[in-house]
Parts: sequence; C-alpha cells; structure tokens
Amino acid sequence: MTNSARPFAEMLPPMNPADDAVHEHELTYFDGSSRKVHISQREIPYPKGRLIISRTDLNSIITHANDAFVELSGYTREELIGQPQCILRHPDMPRAIYQSLWETLAGDGRPKWHGYIKNLNKDGSHYWVYATAVQNKRDGKVVGYTSVRREMSRSKIDEMTAKYKEMIAAEGGG
Amino acid sequence: MKLNLLIAPDFAPERFAGWHMLNTALQRKSGLHIHLLTPASAAEQNKLIEDGKVDVVYANPFDAAAMIREQGFTAIARPIDKPDEMVIATGADSPLNEVEDLEAGQVIALTDNKDVKLIGLRLMEVADLVEDDIEWQMAENYQAVARMIISGDAHAGFFLAEAWHSLSNLSKSRMKMLIESKLADISHVLLTHPRMADSVPAFKDALLGLSGDTDGQQVLDSLGIEKGFEPMEQEDAEFMIDLMETLLD
Repeated sequence: MTNSARPFAEMLPPMNPADDAVHEHELTYFDGSSRKVHISQREIPYPKGRLIISRTDLNSIITHANDAFVELSGYTREELIGQPQCILRHPDMPRAIYQSLWETLAGDGRPKWHGYIKNLNKDGSHYWVYATAVQNKRDGKVVGYTSVRREMSRSKIDEMTAKYKEMIAAEGGG
Repeated sequence: MKLNLLIAPDFAPERFAGWHMLNTALQRKSGLHIHLLTPASAAEQNKLIEDGKVDVVYANPFDAAAMIREQGFTAIARPIDKPDEMVIATGADSPLNEVEDLEAGQVIALTDNKDVKLIGLRLMEVADLVEDDIEWQMAENYQAVARMIISGDAHAGFFLAEAWHSLSNLSKSRMKMLIESKLADISHVLLTHPRMADSVPAFKDALLGLSGDTDGQQVLDSLGIEKGFEPMEQEDAEFMIDLMETLLD
C-alpha cells in the first residue's frame, strides 16, 4: 500500500527502505494455531485525539470497527468484519498478553482488561495502543466484547518494546 | 400529567434561551405539560433525580451511564453529529506546542465539567501525566479559563470543544490549541424515566419532528443542534456506556 491510499498519509513518516522492507513470519497463537503474516519495521503514528474502537462476538470475530480503526489498519471495513480479532496480532506481541486478556474477560461481574498492544496492519506496518477491553453485558448475559484503544506515550512504547522482547524470548519465539 | 425535563448543567450560557424555546416547542407539538429544570450544578441535578423529580433528562454521557444502569432510565434520542469533544489550549506565545510538551507540576485551568476533565486526562497520557501530576485551577466558566491562560496564570486550559469554538476571535488569537479530541461516538443523550412511559411516543415524535418545520429548525439552531435529534435504541446507549467504561481509568 502506498501512503496516498491511507487517509492518515499526511501524518506518516517519510518512506525508509530499511523500515519498509517486508518479510514473512510464521505466527503461532496461544491456542497453538498459526498463520503466515508479512511484517515491516514501519510504525504508523497514532491518529491524534481519536479512539480506535472495535467489537467482537463471543468467538472473537470482529462485528464492529469504527472509522479510525478501519483507516489505520489499511483494511476495508468489509475485510475486517467477520475476521477474528487476531488478524491484528503482531509477532512482537507475547502470547501471554492475549492469554491474560481472555482470562480476564472470562471473569464474573464487570471485568476490565488494560494493556499495551502493538497491532499489525494489512501492509505489515504497525501502531502501538493502550487498549481497554470490556464485556458487552445485556440482561446479565455476556454477548460480546468492546475494545477501545487510545494513544500511549513514546516512553511507554520504548518500555513495552523491551519488555515484550524479553517475554517473547522466554516464550521461545513469536 | 406534568413532566419535568432536566437539562444537564454543562450547557453553554448562550444556549439558555434555546432550551426554553425547546420546552415551549415540545409542549406545543406534543400537547404534554412540560416543566423545564435547569440546575446550576451537578449536585443540584443529582438531588433532583434522587428526589424522583425528573421524568426526562438531557444528560451528559457519563451521567447517562449511571442513570441507565442504576436508575432505570431509557435512552430515546441523541443530537445528530454533535459528539462531546474537548480542547486543550495554551497561550499563543507559550513554549508548549503539543500535548506531549505538558509537564508535571504545571497549572491547568478548567471548569467543573467532569466529562471534559476525564477526556482531557486521557489525552494527556501521551505526556505520561496523571491527575496528581497537575495543579488544577478551577474556573467559573470557559471565558475565565481563557483569561487564566492569556494572563499566564495557567500553562494550559481544558475547554468543551463547543465552548472553545464559540470564543471570540480575539480570545482565540491569544491562545493556541494543543489538541482537540475526535472521539466521535460519545454525545449527550435524552433519557426518560419509566414513570412517563405512556407519554414517550408523543414526546419523542415532537422532539424528532423539530427538524421538519421552520419554527422547529429555529429552536434547533438556537441550541446549536442544527441537524436535530435522532432516535436512539437501548443498544446504542449500551454501546456508548461500554465505551465510556473503558475511559474511566
């Protein structure tokens, strides 16, 4: 994808061949399943002042994506809806983070999960977010989940980059 | 039956006449007897609701969450394309140029609008700032916030976006915006209490019908809600509440 195709093009850093080189990666999820993804080192800046919102059903299938989510991800809304949320999973994210997310959301009451996440875009680039996920409870029954992401500081990105690298090494690779 | 319609106290003072015009128009269109309540503070609003004196409320999104989940109110409508947004601004000559430039120990002026403060706190996370890092300076209204910024008594200030945009050009020329939120999905909502269930259809028809005639449009213009109101389903409200839940911490 070229910069001009993305609505945030004006915010993107200049092209950098080293960062933009895309390579293939075999990604293994915490449930043991795997898929091939393409990744680059290119970071897309978070859109200022906005929230990235998505909802999933109980099986983690995306049922709603707001405009900021669609624009940033590089996918069309049609491509996102119906896909598992893990389509965004970046190989630099430890499996334990997602495990903690789903374990928290399986809890009673009104559980809330917070965490720092590096999300993968369609073109292999990425963006960092501070994510909060909650249950969608209707008449006492959980019918899905809402995830809202907001911008995180550069110092947090640096901290989490280092921390996740250690966690992945401890998990035995991405 | 007389209905009490409460307007959340965070509306801009220049809209005061508009809310009275709305009340008159709704009575004329619905045939209902509606009494307007305009509490001056959140505490006064809460007291009226606790005392069971409120049948319809134009609630700010964060109060709406509690009213729906804890007090049984139902969302029936919301303003079209009128999300609740906020602005963080500083002085025109300030060395601050973006939110990331804000630092612990600085003074931020704000009003008692808790929605604006909450959204502002979320936007300041990019500067690694939390509530306790800031010296908060309360102001009576947004004009006072602007004065504190311009005089240098505050490093920055929080504004309801609508209030910021309605400041005079002179005031705005002496400040600069660091950021404006674009949350888009959070807005004020109109809620009704179950005790007025029988009157909801007439009330809702009158409200949604305002954009259909010249007099109604005049009322909407005076409220700054030019596109009128749209019906809101309970699921829309639940979605907004789930979303706001994520912003609380």
